[in-house]
Amino acid sequence: MTDADLLKGLPAAEVEQVLALGQRMLLTSGAELFHLGDTADSIYLVSRGRIRLTLPMQVRNRQEDVLVEEQSSGQSVGWSALTPPYRFTLTASAEIETEVIALRRDALNSYFAAHPDTGYAVSLNLAGIIGQRLQLFQAMWLREIQRMVESRCA
Amino acid sequence: MEMLLMGAVLAMFGLAVSCLAFGAATREEPVRELEAVKAAAVNARFFADIPPLPVAVHNRVPIEALLLQIENHVRLEHAAAECFLESPDPSRLHSRTISALVN
Repeated sequence: MTDADLLKGLPAAEVEQVLALGQRMLLTSGAELFHLGDTADSIYLVSRGRIRLTLPMQVRNRQEDVLVEEQSSGQSVGWSALTPPYRFTLTASAEIETEVIALRRDALNSYFAAHPDTGYAVSLNLAGIIGQRLQLFQAMWLREIQRMVESRCA
Repeated sequence: MEMLLMGAVLAMFGLAVSCLAFGAATREEPVRELEAVKAAAVNARFFADIPPLPVAVHNRVPIEALLLQIENHVRLEHAAAECFLESPDPSRLHSRTISALVN
């Protein structure tokens, strides 16, 4: 897990210490990791497999969970656990058999208080993850707006 | 004999007219449906948020297939957005998609 996006740039020994705070979880295919609106206490590092992030959408008067994003080995899901109001804004489930490491917010905060350099590095990585997600969805949103404008002005 | 032939010719003519009328009647439905789709698309420019398709057209795609189309669309859009972020350029931002959902 030295390639984990959240722990990028940390010395290997430091990565091990952070990972030791976590708990490994094995998810069977289709199992839900967290649900939209749930209280977010933990962030998860995907160590194996793939996680589907979905949002509910009305399709022909039926509510369906529609894919928004997929995250695989080395990527993090559930960063709502580290940003107020600590509620999940998506639903996450395992697309195939998946293993994640759950890192609790309170454990991370205590560790970072004692190791501020690590806390700073992880915070920068988290900002990068959130920023990348923002830019990605900004571009996706603009593409949809462009299509809407084209269809209305055609 | 001439009368008989005349009768036969008239009968054939009547049969041909009946066939043409039947053909026109059976072709009528798809034409109406297509016109309804076109009308919905034209109206959408001025009023509706989403072009309301006729129920028959709308339900033709099974919901599972529609969900797969949405999923495929999201993956393609995700890839297009990543491509734009790797090298930000207006032409990459507005590159065409092959998604069945919008084509």
